[in-house]
Amino acid sequence: MYDSRRHLHRFRANQESPSLNLVQDVHRYPPPVVVWGPSGNWFGSFLKRPAELYRYRELLGNQVARDLKARYRGTALGFFWCLLNPLLTTAILTLLFTVLMRGASIPNFAAFALIGVLAWNWHATALVAGINSITSQSNLMAKAYFPREVLPLSAVLSNGLNFLFALPTAIVLLVFSGVPIGWALLLLPFVFVIQAALSAGFALLLATANVFYRDTSIIMESLLLAWFFLTPIFYRPQDLFPQYERLMYILNPVASVIAMYRDLLYSGSVPDPLFVLRSGAQALVLLLVGWALFARFADRFVEEL
Amino acid sequence: MSSRATTLARPEPEPTEKATALSLERVSKLFVLQHERPRSFQELWVALMKGRGAGSRERFWALRDVSFDVKQGETLGIVGRNGSGKSTLLRLIARTMRPTEGRVVIAGRVMPLLELGAGFHEELSGSDNVYLNASLLGVPHSVVEARYRDIVEFAELEHFMDTPIKHYSSGMYLRLGFAIGVHLDFDILLVDELLAVGDAEFQRKCVDRIRAVRDAGATILLVSHVAEQVATLCDRAVWLDGGRVCRFGPAKEVVAAYLESSAS
Repeated sequence: MYDSRRHLHRFRANQESPSLNLVQDVHRYPPPVVVWGPSGNWFGSFLKRPAELYRYRELLGNQVARDLKARYRGTALGFFWCLLNPLLTTAILTLLFTVLMRGASIPNFAAFALIGVLAWNWHATALVAGINSITSQSNLMAKAYFPREVLPLSAVLSNGLNFLFALPTAIVLLVFSGVPIGWALLLLPFVFVIQAALSAGFALLLATANVFYRDTSIIMESLLLAWFFLTPIFYRPQDLFPQYERLMYILNPVASVIAMYRDLLYSGSVPDPLFVLRSGAQALVLLLVGWALFARFADRFVEEL
Repeated sequence: MSSRATTLARPEPEPTEKATALSLERVSKLFVLQHERPRSFQELWVALMKGRGAGSRERFWALRDVSFDVKQGETLGIVGRNGSGKSTLLRLIARTMRPTEGRVVIAGRVMPLLELGAGFHEELSGSDNVYLNASLLGVPHSVVEARYRDIVEFAELEHFMDTPIKHYSSGMYLRLGFAIGVHLDFDILLVDELLAVGDAEFQRKCVDRIRAVRDAGATILLVSHVAEQVATLCDRAVWLDGGRVCRFGPAKEVVAAYLESSAS
């Protein structure tokens, strides 16, 4: 879309007439030709989408920056909220499960819960923002052409950055509370990418569904609460249904992600490579399914909204 | 680029030859208005129980078999009554919608001045929004930086660029939106209702700017309710009626015919 060679004329033009530097060299650099026809084979278009998204990476970056800036603008504590929020939740959970219910036998419960809460917060906020990203921004889509994926994906990434901002302080707190942290920490990016793919898959899928049935976002509001309690955030995976632990990981991919974070940040161990591979494959399949569905219906978004 | 859209490198044209900037080939756009389409799961359930899933449909051709070419550097006016398909035509060229049939061949970077007030984020400052809006139009940061001063000056918002945009008036919104668009790089400019922007003085400024852009060699498509504006600004014009091309030719002739028909 933009030819960087044209930057050159900006300097030339600025010296002469600063406000008229638009199209002097149209003839020198022939513009790209775009053929815009009916939506054809959706699978073909699906295959081309990653490249198109990459071309619009600057827009994606700007949308992420916009989300973060807008969220903390006007707040007194600003970016501290991305850590304060999970800390508050963790404090409440710790109070409930170590003081009120003395039966809890998880050592270093606060550290155990904080990891779960941080990862869950990213998942939940990304999902809520992602579901509404298309329906609430129809004016953006009516204004100009851009790959529509930018909207749900920026919701996932901006909340992912929030999670990353909170992580260093969280790790310091974990070290102080006596968690053995070592070289296993270097594997964190893998788990981060797996969770990003997972959230992106859910966001693309649900954002598409929400364009056609607005109930989706309302249902998800209540489902998220159930999902929170059914995810091993303040209990161990084997505490709920000991005999169905494997099934839980399969049905609830967020549980797998939290288990991997806990291996790295709580036990200080390396997760089972097979487990990582399976979780990664699961996230990838979800991402592809969500993206394919999105690609199938993206051309109709502007007309439906 | 998705589906059938492809990018090709063209051979260098002769500088003197007027190449085609835009070509519409039998373009049609069908809207399916589903009056009783289930909008929620509850309605879907009721519809299924009654034995009809889709609801009643009304088919509406917003554009039918529209074909014409626009040469590079040409200014084309589009006139027609409300609902004649003028805005739909611009949307297809801006690629925010796909045609149902036919195709649009676009040679150059399109700058759509549609939904001028849209795409701003309420909580962010004017200057943040300039960069955000430009990236939405596919223009990189470095270019916007070089034009920033011109944009602010043109919009007459020098003292408001650090203010969150939610405190702007609707006129300020439109002025900023217009200023961003006309100061970035493009080959083809799409303008929908120039007269909706600001007061009389600012409108004059906009018209002057359009003239300057035209004289600099840009291709312009101008939708306007004010037929006189089309007659003075444009080389050629197309008159749309009920989604079909009613007349296509020199702007003055088409506008005269259009005014005659709407007077009678």
